[in-house]
Amino acid sequence: MSAISGVVAINTFREAVRDRVLYNLVFFALLMIGAAILVGQISIGIDRLVIINLGLSAISVFGLVMAVFIGAGLVYKEMEKRTLYAILSKPVRRSQFLVGKYAGLLLTLTVNTGFMTLGLGAALFFVGRPFVRSDLSILIAVYFILLELALVTAITLFFSCFTTPMLSTLYTLGIYITGVFASDIHDIGDLTRSPGVKFIARVIYYLVPNFHNFNAIDFASHGDRIPFTLVAQDTIYAAVYVSIVLIAASAVFSGRNLK
Amino acid sequence: MISAAHKASVRTAVLTIPFLLVAVAALQARIDATTNSIARPGQQLLLRSGAALKKISLGYNGLLADIYWTRAVQYYGARVAQPGANYDLLWPLLDVATTLDPHLIVAYRFGAIFLSEPYAGANRTDLAIELVKRGIAANPKEWRLGTDLGLLYYLRARDYPKAAEAYLEASKNPEAPAWIKMLAARIAEKGGSLETSRVIWSELYQSTSDPTIKKNALKQLASLKAQQDESQLDQLVTEYAKHFGHDPAKIQDMVAAGMLGGTPVDPAGFPYVLGSDGKTHLNPASSVEIIPPPKLPAPAQ
Repeated sequence: MSAISGVVAINTFREAVRDRVLYNLVFFALLMIGAAILVGQISIGIDRLVIINLGLSAISVFGLVMAVFIGAGLVYKEMEKRTLYAILSKPVRRSQFLVGKYAGLLLTLTVNTGFMTLGLGAALFFVGRPFVRSDLSILIAVYFILLELALVTAITLFFSCFTTPMLSTLYTLGIYITGVFASDIHDIGDLTRSPGVKFIARVIYYLVPNFHNFNAIDFASHGDRIPFTLVAQDTIYAAVYVSIVLIAASAVFSGRNLK
Repeated sequence: MISAAHKASVRTAVLTIPFLLVAVAALQARIDATTNSIARPGQQLLLRSGAALKKISLGYNGLLADIYWTRAVQYYGARVAQPGANYDLLWPLLDVATTLDPHLIVAYRFGAIFLSEPYAGANRTDLAIELVKRGIAANPKEWRLGTDLGLLYYLRARDYPKAAEAYLEASKNPEAPAWIKMLAARIAEKGGSLETSRVIWSELYQSTSDPTIKKNALKQLASLKAQQDESQLDQLVTEYAKHFGHDPAKIQDMVAAGMLGGTPVDPAGFPYVLGSDGKTHLNPASSVEIIPPPKLPAPAQ
């Protein structure tokens, strides 16, 4: 990432903070404290399980909502406020601007996720549970959520380059839902007798962003070890897919008539 | 005018994206291999309460029911070719689907088959009967569910009085065809006979449009016909022995003695053979299969 993209990224992060985006952390903290107290009262032996499941799910959902709703207006807002013209009148390439915007939103989401992870740790501490080695899988699950958010942000940014925030949100949610059910698309291909449907199901399965790859909540809640190989594979997968989407976004955005 | 920067961006996209997509597909295959190696055995169904799901479905319970039914089909389909497979989640999936949408007739009808199949299913006739009874209660106008219940009692549970009762109940529906009433009477009179089974499978063959059920019905009919033929031929063997003082060496001996008009053949066209035990058997080359009676249903858990 170039220095110019870095400047755009820092400014995007500052703008998000100014917009009080991180206020959602208060909701998250309240949710975790409430869950920690309530679950301890009404359950026997599954308080850890529920808090990890609830905490990681909340981190994922809050992150997704932020990624989609902020990402959808990221470029559109700059064009509407005409601030984009001021930026592009300087020696800033459109692709640098895009990468900067992407990195800024990702930084916002990372900070947000980091605080929420601390909140989850505090809730686990509150229920009187000592931290053990297998808790590393919780951190890996959080890392997977960040990879998921990185991909969702890139997709939202891509749509934001050529359509309105409302449509960007809808398109991104459509792709996200397809990606979550990717393994079911694969299964349909396995069960069908039609070679044509099987082929189409396979192609869709391998080409849509498979968000199922990033779901390690089940492993984390049961304290199962997540192999390093999977961490590496998921990281490369997210990096390659984000590159594809950003290259496509850059191609679309560079051709936009901003007059 | 197309700018040089735009041209360069498009060229980069066209040149790199196809390669990166191939890389993504290859990576996905690797991820699948890793994930499969660490996957927990079996699947979990976290929300088993259809009533609770109905409340949280925000009115989209019909759509959710369709999704659960599709999952049930996938669950069954993934196991049907595996002998001794575990079908523990089949009932909860069907239970949730039919609670979310009590009018999902297909889930009752096919779900009962999945649950009751002794060799390619869960072999849980008790649950299949419960599912169909629930379907009848929610859909009293659907006479086909009544015949499904009768079929379950007759073929799987082998409870003939209850089978007759179920068919009779189904026949009270104004839209039900007349043969159901006749079938009820026949079962009440001659429950368990091969001829009654033949009538049931014939009616099932006539009334269904599903190719899988039609194929199964044909297979069952061929098996029943072969069993009836074997039984009749065995009687002729006994008569031959009484008359000539010894068993026939082959089927043709009975033809030569004028007891048979010609060499009898099975539904696939293969001649029956006489075994060394003095009993008639199917020709080893025949595609017809004698289907054994189903195992008795497992006790309710």
